[in-house]
This record gives sequence, structure tokens and C-alpha cells, in this order.
Amino acid sequence: MFFLAVRHLLSRKRQTALTLMGIILGAAAYIAISGMMLGFQTFIVDQLVNNDSHIRISAREELLTADSLNGSMFEDGQIASWIKPPSGRKDNAYILSPRTWLDRLERDVDVAAASPQLVVQAIATYGKVSVGARVIGSEPDRQSRVSTIEKYMLTGKFSEIGNSGNRVVIGDALAKKIGASLNETIFLASGRGMPQPFRITGIFSLGVKSLDESTIFAAIRDVQQLNLTPSRISDIAIRLMDVTRAAETASTWNLLSQEKVQSWDQSNEGIMSVFKTQDIVRNSMTISILIVAGFGIYNILSLAVTHKRREIAILRSMGFEPWDISKLFLIQGFILGLIGGVVGLVVGLFFSYMMSQIEVSADRGLGGSHMMVSFDYWIYVKAFFLALVSSSFASFFPARSAGRLEPIDIIRSENT
Amino acid sequence: MSIVIKNLKKSFGELATPVLKGICAEIGSGEFLSITGRSGSGKSTLLYIISTLDPATSGDVLIDGRKISEMDTQEVHRFRNQKMGFVFQFHHLLPELSALENVLMPAIKTGQEQARRGFALELLGEFGMKDKADRLPSQLSGGEQQRVAIARSLVMEPGYLFADEPTGNLDTANGRAAMDFFVRINRERKTTIIYVTHDKEFAEMATRQINLVDGQIAGS
Repeated sequence: MFFLAVRHLLSRKRQTALTLMGIILGAAAYIAISGMMLGFQTFIVDQLVNNDSHIRISAREELLTADSLNGSMFEDGQIASWIKPPSGRKDNAYILSPRTWLDRLERDVDVAAASPQLVVQAIATYGKVSVGARVIGSEPDRQSRVSTIEKYMLTGKFSEIGNSGNRVVIGDALAKKIGASLNETIFLASGRGMPQPFRITGIFSLGVKSLDESTIFAAIRDVQQLNLTPSRISDIAIRLMDVTRAAETASTWNLLSQEKVQSWDQSNEGIMSVFKTQDIVRNSMTISILIVAGFGIYNILSLAVTHKRREIAILRSMGFEPWDISKLFLIQGFILGLIGGVVGLVVGLFFSYMMSQIEVSADRGLGGSHMMVSFDYWIYVKAFFLALVSSSFASFFPARSAGRLEPIDIIRSENT
Repeated sequence: MSIVIKNLKKSFGELATPVLKGICAEIGSGEFLSITGRSGSGKSTLLYIISTLDPATSGDVLIDGRKISEMDTQEVHRFRNQKMGFVFQFHHLLPELSALENVLMPAIKTGQEQARRGFALELLGEFGMKDKADRLPSQLSGGEQQRVAIARSLVMEPGYLFADEPTGNLDTANGRAAMDFFVRINRERKTTIIYVTHDKEFAEMATRQINLVDGQIAGS
């Protein structure tokens, strides 16, 4: 029935072209919209995952209460009557036994790398300009294995911060804000002890303004000294072999430890929920377009069934079975879906390419200056199958009704 | 090879209006039979029941000793494809296909397109249509379309050919030509031909006539 189905389609060229247009637009729209949204998501996720870590272990913040000192200051049975009970954060926002964690992480086959960090808030001063900053102390070798910071360096190398020597790499926006440049010295003050001088050995741009204007990387020992907390570690940043298992692994570790363990997506729940909303909007839009295209196919094939009643009768009188007749229309839906899907892929690819050439920002770190568009092959596979399945599904009902037509009913109605 | 009709009845509608009221007949192999009668006499209904397209309300039709009512659907389809040919009043050619492709359609059903191609061309040649084999139905006259339809009904070399008012939509010259083809087919191929007509002259070309009056055989 294939050749007859093709002839049917060719005999009504205008309708076929219009139907194809609907499917092509549906598939192309899915590809273009998905490419754009996923491109954006990939860019953001890349920033979230690779600039920081897959999993972050940090000291669990504990708040003091009236009972917090029981046992340590008061013996059992003694009741303290507070005029103002203790409150605020406990002054031990550090990981209690980092060595145990690091040993355990080194043995874990799922862990690709782990980097101990001390993260402190500090004030960066250059000349008369002071800016609040987040100073991340780390061992550069380990940090480079956990994050992709090296790729975002505009000048200098990340490894130049070394293991000590008061050297820092800072975000480009921060450098601009305080007016400092490479090889110049800024002062960092953590609120403990005196401000200390640090030489800028590199400038990076992550492409996220809020991070670029507030992040400073330094050697962990230098930060420990700056904060007057020698050998203390506040965080351990971890890179896993398989990033997709981050949330699951973090949740398991969280149950087993007194530290707070969070995967990159758990710590950015807000952003992830925006992505989910985007996905819902994207899928709803595309499905709507394909439903419209599907209705087009349904209408056109239903009309064709009505117009082809005589032919159906004669085919049945020749011994063609109901299934043969159904196939005649199913094949038409399938062909429309197949051609519409393939052409839709090409058009979608073209749209995506054109979008990826649009300049959006002069300086976006790894993302470059153009719009980020995803060319993930799964988008194309999904678009193709959406077109094919929706077309085949839309042709199912007219095909079924055609198969159910009895030749004698058609002949009788034709003769009356 | 014969058709036996036993007490065949057919009614239509919820009120079971009888159209055929107990038809009994036997059609022998190679017969050239016309069924005549006024409009509403049941002649087309009788043709469609004995050609398996319409089920009877009661009674039996036996073709080659097999009861139609006892055949499964697959067997009925195979029977229609290989042992029966149909010619309708309105030609019913597939408008997207050429004359030759139309003739070959029954063969396409069973994958015999290539095997029957030569025979199809031969048939078209026999009916003076060989040079128009590649034309679409829209490029043919009514008489030519009917000749293509007759060729199509014969492409599987069926034992039976059923025709419902085959000349009903043709002018006198083309109608006569179509009937001449039927006569020739019956004579040369020994095909059993059963046709419905209300044209007296064409009915008389048959070797036997069945005249229906109000759903019953009035004369044979």
C-alpha cells in the first residue's frame, strides 16, 4: 500500500505541503526552543557545577540555645536561670575531623577529587577603596581537579597562588571595582588580626557577575593565617566521577555525618526549580504546536477517507482487507511525520545555528560572547520522534474509521 | 464451479423490510447470466450477496460447494481477490494510478504485480487500450475507463465476474462495446458472468436471464 499512499499524498499537493509545514514548524520550534533553553541551562549548570563542586561538605551551622551549655558548664541536676540566654551562631563553623573525611573520600571510588577549603568573609582594600569579598582558601592542585577555574582565567594561572606566599587570583569585576590589576598588592582583612597584603597573580572571569565581583582565591594556609584559624577547614569541595549521582550521594553522606553535605543542585534549588518551570513551558509549547499539526493531519486524512470512499469500496471488492485500508492512511501519516520530522530537524538545526551566532554579551567567560545554544543530539532525537509519533497517532483514527467501512455500505450509498 | 442459491432472504432496517423473499437458483459454470427487474426489485442486492459483499439475512449461497456464511474473513478476502472480478456502474478507478496500475491493483494485493504485468497489458490491448496504459483515469473517456475496469476485473483470471449496471453510465455505443467485451470474455475465457441491468437489449445478450419482481424470481 506504500506506493498508493505516496500517490494519495502527491495527488493533494497543497494539503500535503500545508500539513508538512505544520509538522516541520513543530519539530523545528522544539529544537530551537529546546536548544536555546538547554543552552542557557547548560551554561548556568556549568557555572554552578564546575566553578564550585559537585558536592560541598561544610560545617553545620549550630545556633546556641538555653540548653546548649548544659553538660559542659553545668552539672546534671543544676538548673541555670539566664537573664539573657545564649544565642547566635556557635563559633566553630569548621569541619571537626577533616582528615577522616579526606581519607574516606580518597578511598571512595565514586570520588574523582576532593579539595579542602577555608572560606572566610573579608574586606579587600586597594588604596582607599574597600570591598567585601569571599576569600576561598584552597590547595591549588586539588582545587584545579575539583573545579574548572583554570579555564576561566583571563590573565595569570590559578596554580600561581601556590601553597603559601600571600598570592591571590581575583574576579575581574572585583579588580575593576577596587582598581587593582595584575601583580599589584591588595590588603585583606578578615576581622581578626591585622589586614594582610596579598599580591594579585591572576584574574578570572566566571561570567557570573555576582561571583566575579566578590570572589578571591588564595592558598589555604594563607587564609588560615589571615583568619587566625590555623589548620581549620570550613568546606570540602568534591568532584564525582558521575555528576548525575551528586544529589543521591550527598543525601546518603548527609545522613551519616554531622557536617552539612549538599550537592550542587541541592544548594541551588531555586535555580533548578526555574529550570523545571522552563522545561514545562518548553514542552507545553512544543506539544501544543504538534497537537495543532496533529489535528491538521487528522482533518486532512479524515477528509481523504470521506473522499476516497469509492476507492475504498473497490479495493475491498478486490480482496484488500480492512487492515490494508487502515494501512493506506496510517502510512500517509507516517510518511508525513517522517518527512516533516527530517526536514524539521534541518530547519531546527538552521534556526539553532542562527541563534548561536547572535551576540549577547562582550564578555561571558567560558560561554563566549554569543548566545549559548545546545546542539545536544537528544533534542533532535526527541523532536524527530515527537513529529513521527504525533503524526502516526493523528492518522490512527481516520485509518481506523477507513478500515471499518464496509464496501457494500459505500456502494449502496453511492448508488442511491 | 457453480453457484447455488438456497432460499435466500434479505431484509433491511429495523422494521425488517424484505427485499429478497426466498430466492432459489443455480448458476452453472461458464454461464452468462443477466439479472433484471425494476428499481427496488432486489437485483443489485442479490448480486452483492452472491458475490460475498453483502451478508444474507437467511438462506445460503454456495460457491464451488463452499457456503459463503461459513467462510472466515481471510478466506472471503482471498476468494474475492483470486476467484472474483467486479465491475461497477461508476467504474471506480483509482484516480491517482495509471490505467495499467489500476488493472494491476488486485495483483498488487498478492504480490503478483510483476508476474501479471504482461497479462495486464495483454488485456488492455484486447480492449484497445494498450496505447493508453500510462494515462490517468482523468485522461480517459467514460467508455475507456469502463474498459480499464473490465480489464482489472479479469487480471487475476477469476472464475466469476460480477457486474452491477456496467453500461449504466455509458452512452449506447460504449455500452454496446462493453457488452461485446463481456460476451467475448464469456465465450473465450469461459468466465461465469453475472450482471445486473435494466436495459432490455443488453439483458437479452445473456444466455440466461433472471427477472426479479418484488424480491422474487418471476422468470428465468
